[in-house]
Amino acid sequence: MRTTIRSSSERLAALRAALLAATALVAGCSFGPKTTSKELFSLTPESAANKAMQTRQFETRDSDELLSASAAALQDLGFEVTESDRSLGFLRAAKERSAREYGQETTRFFVALLTFAVSVFGGQNALYVLPVDLQQQINASLVAQPIADDGDGARNEVRIVFYRLVWKGDGQSGNTYIPPGLQQMEMIRDAELYQRFFARLSKAIFLEAEKI
Amino acid sequence: MRPAPNFVPKRAALFALAFLFAISGCASPPQAPENLLAPTEEQIKIRNMQTRTFDVSDRQAAMRGVIAALQDLGFIIERANESLGLVTAARFAEPNFFDVVGVTVTVRPASDTQMTIRANAIFNNEPITDPEVYQNFFATLERSLFIGRN
Amino acid sequence: MRPRPAGCALAAGLLGLAAAGCVGFPARHEIQGDNWVQVLLSDESQVKVRNAQSRVFDTTDRRSMLEALVATFQDLGFQIEVLDETLGIVSGKKYLDAERPSYSRDLASYLLYDEESLVVFNRVYRSWGPFQARSDLVRLTVTVRQRNVEQLIVRASAQYYLRPVEEPEAYQKFYAALEKALFAQRLAASP
Repeated sequence: MRTTIRSSSERLAALRAALLAATALVAGCSFGPKTTSKELFSLTPESAANKAMQTRQFETRDSDELLSASAAALQDLGFEVTESDRSLGFLRAAKERSAREYGQETTRFFVALLTFAVSVFGGQNALYVLPVDLQQQINASLVAQPIADDGDGARNEVRIVFYRLVWKGDGQSGNTYIPPGLQQMEMIRDAELYQRFFARLSKAIFLEAEKI
Repeated sequence: MRPAPNFVPKRAALFALAFLFAISGCASPPQAPENLLAPTEEQIKIRNMQTRTFDVSDRQAAMRGVIAALQDLGFIIERANESLGLVTAARFAEPNFFDVVGVTVTVRPASDTQMTIRANAIFNNEPITDPEVYQNFFATLERSLFIGRN
Repeated sequence: MRPRPAGCALAAGLLGLAAAGCVGFPARHEIQGDNWVQVLLSDESQVKVRNAQSRVFDTTDRRSMLEALVATFQDLGFQIEVLDETLGIVSGKKYLDAERPSYSRDLASYLLYDEESLVVFNRVYRSWGPFQARSDLVRLTVTVRQRNVEQLIVRASAQYYLRPVEEPEAYQKFYAALEKALFAQRLAASP
């Protein structure tokens, strides 16, 4: 009897450790090297590529019209404007959407099932309910500015960056309740979203955009 | 059976009062320290490295340069207010999304031909005290103000 | 026999878990294969939605249109956050009482929870406040743009419960309210 309890509790401890490690990865903990603040204020090789993806130039003198068209283009993509400053050509927009995924819900159920089974055999409460993605907020921050004209008329440049926040729901770890609200953020580096935005912006002002 | 007109026993009321006095003693908030709102010595020291003067006469042009520089550095512009001369931006220490760098830049006229630009940089809610960080930022800003822009 | 007091609790917990996705506020979040699809927007439905959301007005007086829009926003109970006459943007949000979580335990900090806080101040391991997905948040953005020399085009887009509002009826009611505000404006202008 004693041997059984010892080995099963050892198994339980090992399984709990494995699950915790898995959760830590899932929760977004990174164990890699940290970027220091020095590097964050210097241009990197990616800066130029990001700038090309995020920027388009337009042959229009009226930066107010360009900004207004940007708001309309963002509206087309489902965004709601949250801030604006006309004299600096600044706009911010956001949209909140559901972030639930079938895959995560299934994983959550099976992990809970597994840990429940382990708890039943081990005698201690090792139930683990994984917090899953619930809600996301996708944000856009845009600046429309005139740039120096090279003789053939003033031009304006629009630069936009998209990023999103994803929030997880609640969970359970043994007897501890994991409160909801774990937040993850990511910069959106997918070119398609930027292309779609600039396509709509061009339509909104009936002009051809030129890539830099 | 008529209830007694005053059926809350005196003893219970006394206990309640005593209890309230007791817990009010436990709930005293701490006294605000004298220099809660005073700048620390460290902050005064870094003020110099956070400030630079540039030969730009137009505040709007200076702020546009600041915004362009911040965008080039990968920052997300969060607040931009021309009348107050204020730009706030933040970014993540990618690919690690646990560390946040925030910067608040103010642009004030120093004279008719110059602007004073001050950048307060914060790394995870602590002010950055490394002078090289500010040097890097102002180098990028200088490039943005005087090259390729009006 | 080893007593297993935790066993019943665990069984109940597991059953509850199976149904957890179906009750409470997450139940109304739509589930999808990949939550990335929400970032992009499909092109097919856009034309119909845009028509439902837009109206053309035979006036070029942007200021009066914006004043009427502000009055409509206030009538509908929206807090106006963005207002720019030259750009032609009015944007606001409101929190519906009916959707607010009923338990009062966390209500005070729930009301203080500000999802608009700057990234710098928002970077906490868990966003503070009782996270209830702000199920009561409604956003509304209206843009006013010049359609041609004589006309303005107004487009209203709303967001409710993590979904864009695409039903034409909702926008019909909005524009009815806007027409009333414009009418009241015209009455006030002409003695």
